[in-house]
Amino acid sequence: MGAYMSEKKYTKDHEWVSIENEIATIGISNHAQESLGDIVFIELPSVGNSVKAKDEICVVESVKAASDIYAPIDGEIIEVNNNLENDAAIINQDAENEGWIFKMKISNSNQYSELMSEDEYKQFLEQ
Amino acid sequence: MPFAGFNMPINYKTGIINEHKNVRNHSGIFDVSHMGQILIENNESYLHKLEKYIPLQLKKLTKNRSHYSFLLNKDGGVIDDLIISNIDIEDKSYLYIVYNASQKKEDEEIFISCAPNAEKIYKKNCLFAIQGPDSINVLKNIIDIPNNMNFFDILISKYNNNEIIVSRSGYTGEDGFELSIPNESAENLITHLLKNENTMLCGLGSRDSLRLEAGLSLYGHELNEKITPIEAGLSWALDKERLEDENLNGNKVLSDQLKNKLSNKKIGLISTSKSMLRDGMTLFDNNNNEIGKITSGCFSPNLNKSIAIGYIISEFNTDNPIFCEIRKKLELVKINNLPFVKKNYKKNGSIYE
Repeated sequence: MGAYMSEKKYTKDHEWVSIENEIATIGISNHAQESLGDIVFIELPSVGNSVKAKDEICVVESVKAASDIYAPIDGEIIEVNNNLENDAAIINQDAENEGWIFKMKISNSNQYSELMSEDEYKQFLEQ
Repeated sequence: MPFAGFNMPINYKTGIINEHKNVRNHSGIFDVSHMGQILIENNESYLHKLEKYIPLQLKKLTKNRSHYSFLLNKDGGVIDDLIISNIDIEDKSYLYIVYNASQKKEDEEIFISCAPNAEKIYKKNCLFAIQGPDSINVLKNIIDIPNNMNFFDILISKYNNNEIIVSRSGYTGEDGFELSIPNESAENLITHLLKNENTMLCGLGSRDSLRLEAGLSLYGHELNEKITPIEAGLSWALDKERLEDENLNGNKVLSDQLKNKLSNKKIGLISTSKSMLRDGMTLFDNNNNEIGKITSGCFSPNLNKSIAIGYIISEFNTDNPIFCEIRKKLELVKINNLPFVKKNYKKNGSIYE
């Protein structure tokens, strides 16, 4: 990660977010992929949609269950990871890098600072 | 995850899909000790009472053979599905019945009312299923298995000087064995079997996707007290002579159903997209009329698509398109004959494809 990239942060819904030049990249945490098990399908969000934090924006289907992905912050979806369309298992292999799901242009960076740091997320998982 | 009062693994380290494929291609071991196992003395008065619930001629069961059957309620609905076998243990003849963990209370009430000295053996015996084409090779150096043992044969063998019940059966569509072994030797046996690299421990997740691909019914999904074996497409498992017998629960309902058209039929479905079909989803025709529901759905590792079993109304012409409501959207699904994957049982000394 370059020095210009922000620290990775986490939501209570087990998404991770990192920010670079007002663009947030979002995926699900390694813990989330482990508990979901083999991921077989992802319904990607539509590019161009404006969303609010906590909106359900796409769905990850694993052999065990369907699970909603929420927008971690307000913004506009500007890109999705099309590689996942053919091979959703990338999320199992590398949830927090190659398995990123979508990027958004964020409109409220305060929301980002309110998310959990990696250490805080670890503590949250232990609770 | 909690399952029928037990804490059961959905999968072990390598995941459901890998476990599933290992069973289809090699072998896998399921700890199914949560299931009920009971021994009932082969006594004419007990058998007569049991025949009120079980649609077989229990006095005529072949020794050392197993049968798939049911406990039926007054309306012919299924209280449970089970495997019933006729075996001798220490020169005494018994019916050995394996039944679902989720229905233990209901089943045992019936068993004990018919045979007060019936012996629940699942507290002292574990039950393991070793499934898949290599299972015979994994097992044969450890337990004596006769060459001519066929699917649904059952016998008493030995491990560590303990008598164990070995049946050539399972619920995955593959060749395999179920082993009922005293608790004190159970861990030794599993450790012994797992030394063979062709086998691995498997959890409830792959057990479900394997049985679904094989088109096998699961209690609480395709089967319940409101569905008869005939409605569930399992009339082959009923002894037709017993349907004329007033002593069988629901015999009139069942023989009427055999003669007349049913209101619902069981179907197999396959997803045309990558969406997953799941239990409880509703099915529609192309005019948005509800025609049925899915009772089991999963991802099929063999077909690389989601598959499902469900019930639809009989008058629906299956040449017409069927839609499934998935997250408020209607998606086209295709009818697929059951089973999705051909069964691979050992019969008459050879394994039929």
